[in-house]
Amino acid sequence: MTTAVHESSVPTKGLKGGSLGLVAVIVIGVASTAPGYSLAASIGLISGEVGVKAPFIVLFAFVPMACIAASFFYLNRADPDCGTNFTWGARAFGPRVGWIAGWGCIVADLVIMPNLAGVSGQYLVLLFNEKLAENIWLTTSIGIAFIVAMCWICWRGIELSARSQVLLLGTELVVLALFAVIAISKAFSGITRTTMVDGVQTTYTSVKPSLSWVSPAGVPSSAIIAGLVLAVFIYWGWDTCVSVNEEAEDSATTPGRAAVLSTVILLAIYLVCAFGSVSLLGPDFVTDNADDAIFALGQVALPTFMVKLLVIAVLTSAAASCQTTILPATRTMLSMGAHGAAPPKLARIDPRRLTPDYSTWLFGIVSILWYLLLVVISQNTDTDAYSASIAAVGMAIAVYYGVTGISCIWYFRRWLTTSAKNFLMMGVLPGVGGVTLIYVFVKTIWDARNADYGYGTLFGVGTVLVIGTVLLVAGVPIMEWCRTRYPTYFTYSPDPANLVKDPNSDDTLAAPLGTYVKGGR
Amino acid sequence: MAAQLVVGIGGDGSGTAAARTAARVANLMGANLVLVFGFDPSKLAPRGGAFEEEILAVGASAIEAVTAELAALYPDLQIESEFVQERAVDALILVAEARQAEVIAVGHGGEGPLRGALLGSVTYELVHRAPFPVLVVPDAASDD
Repeated sequence: MTTAVHESSVPTKGLKGGSLGLVAVIVIGVASTAPGYSLAASIGLISGEVGVKAPFIVLFAFVPMACIAASFFYLNRADPDCGTNFTWGARAFGPRVGWIAGWGCIVADLVIMPNLAGVSGQYLVLLFNEKLAENIWLTTSIGIAFIVAMCWICWRGIELSARSQVLLLGTELVVLALFAVIAISKAFSGITRTTMVDGVQTTYTSVKPSLSWVSPAGVPSSAIIAGLVLAVFIYWGWDTCVSVNEEAEDSATTPGRAAVLSTVILLAIYLVCAFGSVSLLGPDFVTDNADDAIFALGQVALPTFMVKLLVIAVLTSAAASCQTTILPATRTMLSMGAHGAAPPKLARIDPRRLTPDYSTWLFGIVSILWYLLLVVISQNTDTDAYSASIAAVGMAIAVYYGVTGISCIWYFRRWLTTSAKNFLMMGVLPGVGGVTLIYVFVKTIWDARNADYGYGTLFGVGTVLVIGTVLLVAGVPIMEWCRTRYPTYFTYSPDPANLVKDPNSDDTLAAPLGTYVKGGR
Repeated sequence: MAAQLVVGIGGDGSGTAAARTAARVANLMGANLVLVFGFDPSKLAPRGGAFEEEILAVGASAIEAVTAELAALYPDLQIESEFVQERAVDALILVAEARQAEVIAVGHGGEGPLRGALLGSVTYELVHRAPFPVLVVPDAASDD
């Protein structure tokens, strides 16, 4: 007598082995946003847009991101699919919106890969030899090796133990905090540095930190938008905290506490680092050293051994960030393949490692090609395609998070008016976040069409516009190609509003995607 | 309740040799055979829905293949299976504890101790952690 599948004798949730404690949820939330790397990649660009007001932008950018987190939380209750934006967009607005939202997520992850790889390559070389870090081909080769290594790690499914993660993240936060505190104290006592670059002598002087740096007074709105599109990037990944919340042990209190604590930690570290960075030798110094800002600042503020620690902190953070970039992208690809919106091969699972092997390596190969293209463009034109991609990724994040916010309101429209809490959490917050981000997206397109937006031009228009929109728009013909090959997905209709379940009840899961079909029941 | 022999089966069919050995023993003892498939994808990104279903499909086809083979060999043997969302090692230990198993049987892919320790071999970790007897059967030996 044989039974094929037996009811499990082990409850999967609420067990010591599988559930996540408070510290683990915080670590996942903070590590996913990769503070060290985010600062290294963007602080120079942010100070270039808003100068000493960097602390304000850093705080302000959190508002739309936190609002969008509410939509992640509720939509995740209806459908906790690894395709997140893709499945939610399809449920709220139909297959095409879902497809483009998924594409936006993949594109955002793809666009950031060269920066991740570049920062890793550069900081790894900086650890040993400063001069060599200017050799673009050396850092590029290391960057490519880094992408290959990270894809391999994702494919093998290797993960650091919780304890090593706490140790790495703890070191990163302590080093960053020390750097910021020392920088701020040096700025208070006042220091001056003179540098010679290509025969041009520049003198930088520290600026006494002022509380007015957290207020928007005196910042032109165009600079705020330009700063925002860069700064949303530093909080990207924070939403992972929301999706692991459901798995936390004692899920009544841990998730809320973990989300609040990880937020406080992130905001605090970004705030003090923003203060420290722009005050140490003034914002111009940060901007002029945008490529390796944290290292340049660290060299002024810290003794040598701590500079090395700072570099290591950025490196480990970039590695974590690389993982939290590859995993969401490949899981969105997997979800699109599995739901029939894209080639089914994307959903292929390596039977031994239980990871999406085809998607992972496809993403890795395309990332490397994209990286090489950017390096070649940056080397042969006056365009800084490399820095432009940070702003471009901000555009992609803005559009797909924006769509998520709006999807949340529309999807739960039946429940918005049932209580004040619902109206606030599923209506107002996602609305504020969604509208802000979509406005940032549209305004950036508008501003970036001019050649003087910064980062140089490609084909006569701003590079940011080219990278940010061409890749998004390229999704449309690919979607149409998928529609001819895989028509079934494109016959799905949005979930009927009256069948959407109350996300505050015990039974929140929606019927599988594809239950509702155009013309059918 | 009959004695329980717990066997770990991987999505690639690793552990099939262990299942054959355990089935032979279970058949002699009149014990139950419990095939366990454990999986725990990285938490650094959303992992529900399609991902979980695809992984379960891989696990189900591996378990079905083993079950079909053993059921044909030992028609009287009671074979059960469990799919547990935990790392494979934790899954095996949890199932063994819940069922008060006599032994946990696992395969061995032939990796050396350094590779096993660095890359997270289920067998190496299990041998060191399990509070139960562990039976290790080389996967390659199954092809005779």
